[in-house]
Amino acid sequence: MLENIKKIIADQLNVQESEIQLTSSFKEDLGADSLDLFELVMAIEEEYEVEIPAEDLANIATVEGVISYLKDKGVEA
Amino acid sequence: MKTRICELLQIKYPIIQGGMAWVAEHHLASAVSNAGGLGIIAAGNAPVEVVRAEIRKAKELTKNPFGVNIMLLSPHAETIARLVVEEDVKVVTTGAGNPEKYIGMWKEAGIKIIPVVASVALAKRMEKYGADAVVAEGCEAGGHIGELTTMALIPQIVDAVNIPVIAAGGIGDGRGLAAVFALGAEAGQIGTRFVVSHESIVHDNYKKKIIESKDIDSAVTGRSTGHPVRSLRNNMTREYLKLEKAGTSFEELELLTLGSLKKAVVEGDTVNGSLMAGQIAGLVSKEQSCKEIIEEIIEEANTILKVRD
Repeated sequence: MLENIKKIIADQLNVQESEIQLTSSFKEDLGADSLDLFELVMAIEEEYEVEIPAEDLANIATVEGVISYLKDKGVEA
Repeated sequence: MKTRICELLQIKYPIIQGGMAWVAEHHLASAVSNAGGLGIIAAGNAPVEVVRAEIRKAKELTKNPFGVNIMLLSPHAETIARLVVEEDVKVVTTGAGNPEKYIGMWKEAGIKIIPVVASVALAKRMEKYGADAVVAEGCEAGGHIGELTTMALIPQIVDAVNIPVIAAGGIGDGRGLAAVFALGAEAGQIGTRFVVSHESIVHDNYKKKIIESKDIDSAVTGRSTGHPVRSLRNNMTREYLKLEKAGTSFEELELLTLGSLKKAVVEGDTVNGSLMAGQIAGLVSKEQSCKEIIEEIIEEANTILKVRD
C-alpha cells in the first residue's frame, strides 16, 4: 500500500516520491495547507472507496497515519 | 434574471449579501432581504445569545428569508449550528472550514446549506456531503481570503459541481455581476458595496474610507500565518506587515489585530482598526440604500446580458 499511497501524495502535493517517508507529516514536511489536505483526502477516498469524515483528519497527519487509518477501515494492504 | 439560486432561496434577485463579522447584523440583513436579495447575519465570534437576538430582530424587520453565516473557527460554532435549527433560519452559509458534521442536522431541519469555498476539491466535497449550493470566493474579496482569483476560480468550480455556484470577490456593480454570470455563476455575493449602505451600522469614518479609497488601497496581511486577510491600508496593516516580514510569531501578530475589526466598525478608528474591504473598494463612490444598490446592479447587469443575447 505504501507505494500506492506515495504515488497519490506525490501527485496531489506536487512533491517527489523520494521525499516521502513513512513518518513524513503532510503539513510540516511536505508543505501542505488545509486545501491541499482536502485534495489528498478526496483522492484517497476515491482510490480506496472509503469515506473519511472531517473529524478524522486530525488522525491522519502523516503517511503512516493514513496507512493505519485505512487498515482500521478494513482496506487490504 | 431568474436562476436556480432564486428558486432555491426564494428570493427575487440573485444577489447575496456577504457574511461580514460585526457588519452583517440585523439592520443590514433585513434591508437586503426586503430589497429582494438574501440578507445574511454574520455570527462571527459572537456568543449564541447575541446571535439569537439578531435573528429575532431581523425577523421583526423582514418577512423575507435571510441567512446566518457561521464562522466555523468560532468557539461558539457548535452551539450556533444548533441555534439556527431552533430559530428556524432558512439559509446557512459557512466560512473558515468544513461544515460537514452539521450538514445532516441542517438538512433534517430543511435549512439550505451554502458553504463558502476557495478550491475545487472543497466544492466537490461539499456537494458530495449534501450542500445545496456553494459560494466560490476569490481573493479580490475583503476579510479572510483564499489564494485564487474570482476569474480563475468560478469557471473551474462551475465545471466541477452540479449544484449552483454563487460567485464572491470583486463584484461591485452590474458589470461585475454580469461577468460572473458569464463565468457560469448563478448569483453574486456582495460585501464591500453593502458596507457603504444607509442601513449598514458601520461607523461613518469607515464608510468614508471606502468611498475615498483607490484601486491599490487594500493590502493583505497574514499570508505567512496561513490566515490572509484583506483590508484597507492604514497604520495597522503597515505595522502588521513590518512585523510579519521580521518573522514575528502568529500569536504576537494575532494580538496586534485582536479587536481591531470592532475598533473600525463600532468606534470608527481608521488608524489602528481593521478596515476590511475588497479590491472593489475603489469602485464604491457613494452611500445608497440597499434597495438602490440592488436595483442598480440588477438593471446594469440585465442591460449587459441582453446585449450579449
